[in-house]
Amino acid sequence: MMEHQTICSKCVLPESRPDIFLDQEGVCNICRDYEAIKEDSEKNNSLETEFTKMLKMYKSYGRYDCLVMCSGGKDSTAALYYMKKRYKLNLLAFTFDHGFETEDALENVKNAVDILGVDFLYFKTDYMNEMFAAILKTNSKAIICHLCSIWYMNLTFEIAARYGIPLIIAGWTKGQSKKQSLMSRCGCNMHQPEFSSMAKAAKEFLDTYVKNNPKYKDFPGSMEEVLVMAKKRHKCAVLSPHWFLPFNSDVYVELIEKELKWKFPKLSYPAHTTNCYLNFISVHNSMKYFGYTHYHVEMSKLIREGLLTREEAIKNLEINFNKELLNNITKKLDYTF
Amino acid sequence: MNILGISCFYHDSAVCMLQDGKIIAAASEERFNRQKNSPVFPLNAVNFCIQKANLTIDDLDYIGFYEKPFLKLYRVLLSHLRAYPFSFKNFLDTIPNWLEERLILPLLLKKELGYEGKVLFIKHHLSHAASAFLVSPFEEAAIITADGVGEWGTMSLGVGMGKDIKVFKEMHFPNSLGLLYTAVTTYLGLEALIGEGKIMGLAGYGKPCYLNKFREMVTVKQDGSFMIDQRFFGFNKGSRMYSHRLIKVLGKDRKPQDKIEQRHCDIAASLQKFTEDILIIVANNLYNDSKIDKLCLAGGLFLNCVANSRILENTPFKEVFIQPAAGDSGGALGVASYIYHSILNNNRSYVMQDAYLGPDFSQNQMKRSLLNNGINFKEFNDDSLFRYVAQRLSQNKIIGWFQGRMEFGPRALGNRSILANPANPAMKDLLNQRVKKREPFRPYAPAVLEEKITEFFNAKQFSPFMLLSAEVNKDKKTIIPAVTHIDGSARVQSVSKKINPRLWRLIKEFENITGIPVILNTSFNLNREPIVCAPEEAVSCFKRSQMDCLVLGNYIAEK
Repeated sequence: MMEHQTICSKCVLPESRPDIFLDQEGVCNICRDYEAIKEDSEKNNSLETEFTKMLKMYKSYGRYDCLVMCSGGKDSTAALYYMKKRYKLNLLAFTFDHGFETEDALENVKNAVDILGVDFLYFKTDYMNEMFAAILKTNSKAIICHLCSIWYMNLTFEIAARYGIPLIIAGWTKGQSKKQSLMSRCGCNMHQPEFSSMAKAAKEFLDTYVKNNPKYKDFPGSMEEVLVMAKKRHKCAVLSPHWFLPFNSDVYVELIEKELKWKFPKLSYPAHTTNCYLNFISVHNSMKYFGYTHYHVEMSKLIREGLLTREEAIKNLEINFNKELLNNITKKLDYTF
Repeated sequence: MNILGISCFYHDSAVCMLQDGKIIAAASEERFNRQKNSPVFPLNAVNFCIQKANLTIDDLDYIGFYEKPFLKLYRVLLSHLRAYPFSFKNFLDTIPNWLEERLILPLLLKKELGYEGKVLFIKHHLSHAASAFLVSPFEEAAIITADGVGEWGTMSLGVGMGKDIKVFKEMHFPNSLGLLYTAVTTYLGLEALIGEGKIMGLAGYGKPCYLNKFREMVTVKQDGSFMIDQRFFGFNKGSRMYSHRLIKVLGKDRKPQDKIEQRHCDIAASLQKFTEDILIIVANNLYNDSKIDKLCLAGGLFLNCVANSRILENTPFKEVFIQPAAGDSGGALGVASYIYHSILNNNRSYVMQDAYLGPDFSQNQMKRSLLNNGINFKEFNDDSLFRYVAQRLSQNKIIGWFQGRMEFGPRALGNRSILANPANPAMKDLLNQRVKKREPFRPYAPAVLEEKITEFFNAKQFSPFMLLSAEVNKDKKTIIPAVTHIDGSARVQSVSKKINPRLWRLIKEFENITGIPVILNTSFNLNREPIVCAPEEAVSCFKRSQMDCLVLGNYIAEK
């Protein structure tokens, strides 16, 4: 799919005006902006000692030091491993399943929490199915993953408040989020130009469908709302060890494969990830409406940071699934492509 | 037992991680923050060292600091006071730094690292002595340390036995051979901390005809102790380290842009000879006092490989050990070793056989650096890699050679090196013109197969850290002209198959092609930049220079 698009010659973002545009040399505005700020990048502030200082700053006086969001993917499983083994914290692992998690991912989580001997909360619900179906049936451009992440974060903050946990640990990579936009400080990356149109579509869907559906009267209107509510409810920071550690995924995949019996799933998009079944639908719609996905954004960032090559990203982002798979997944939602 | 040694705040900040007496990692901050001779608190190097040991800051049992800040401040304040009012500007420049960070190190460690554990301080020259002896192969040895100045000490003499070090003589500021060398370096228009090594090179072009002038300025006693006539110098007075009186004696001082004249070479040669003579007297006296024929040297002065060899040649000492980070960066290693062995009373079992203690990078990371910079490259297996690179060397190509873990200390010892053909008489100029942009009087160094060292050099012992010089054998001078200095000497690195098998194999292949078991080895950097650390920096260096070929692990890129 990517081959038919004009993509940035440095990263993998396609032209998508007005948010992403290429200059005469074929380089996108996001890469140009990055070059301008590269010199005073946060290299020094992203050292592990900065992270360990923060762990002390958010020291818990309760039962758990931190709540680790674990999906069973490589990044979150590695985060779980580091928090337990490297930082020796007492943790509560938490997995959210909207009913579309893969068996492989759940097996990974189970193995990890068993081997590490950590307390574990598994929350499964089909609460959002109606919302997912509505996105498909109304041809909304809202990206399923964005709505899901709003609910997932909301739940996570609620659990942290319930157990008095001062720190939430996520497995976000350097490509997924930036340290400055610590979620506890009410910032999130939805304001980046790469996400601008997608965020508008999500907001439109939330304002129209979700707000007017009594079933979802408690559903937050945006990620900002989640953060504001969380701040009022319970003081809690969100951090990822991957922002501070120099190890890339090659290193920690090898580690968790060995230590936690972690496995790559048979079926997932992009290649070398562990994402849920619904992710295929999300990716399909994202490509259809915007020409790229949040994975393109993430991998482009990793390319800029020198952690991934453009060729690797293009290969990983190749669409290798078909309509039959999509229809199998959406059976539950009573929708056919 | 995990001990982190730190040296910083003056120049060459560095960190060393010692685990159960073994050095796990050591690196200078300049390689990470890319500021040459960086004096800042080594935050990046600390993070690298603890991560290499698979630890976090909370796993450390001790942090050791390489000198005693209060003692040093006492000296600084007193010498400012003595030199008042000329020292007032220096006073204003330096004292705020002391009050902000140097005096309150435990607080700084908490602020910067979140570390709240035990912190120990040992004296500057004891750190040097420990860095030289405690990781040496000797059970007992005489020890000499010498540099600009520590707290008060400028030179110390002692003996190491087992895990103990006894320092029994010390020279004190302002009588410092190191400061004398630096003062004359600046008089000759070169920069302090960078220029001293260049003076050593320049000395080869001169005759020591100013030796008597130095003897007039510095009174040397029979035991090698000396007194510098401070009327000729101004170590703490203002913007320069020498006075008008020195100019009266040696002639007009050279400005950096001035042409180098024969007079300058002669002054450099005289300074070098004067320094060597004092060190020889000191070493002979130390031998007479200790009757031990093994010698350990440390301190910035012993980065002077010519002086080191003269000591070996002119004293009864049979063997000398100088660890690769002989300057202040080695203080980090010294304090960590001293805490483990001498304070905590643990036996010695580790010998520092190599300097490869810095970061390494996977083949994937190297490949990504090349791909992300749009550089075409080929992957080779080991056999074909060494053969191919040796061929390119024999064809007079300049090679950037990036392998394994980065070296600790100022010398590139074959893991972050630029390599070239030593047999080409034009190679030195070619390398200067196309890559290094160095002063023409500075020589390039040879790396030789350890087993062939005496075939080419009149060496008394192996020189794995490039800290000894040796006369090139008469019949070989024309064979390796690019690494033979004007005075017929060379700053040799002997390469052992066991310690650096990849460099050894490359030289062996070069020998198979040319019959010469020697290659030219210089540091992988451009002028005034620190040596490269990561593949990205190697690629950047390759792109910005006229290097012909870049070898990153098993990948080769060519222009």
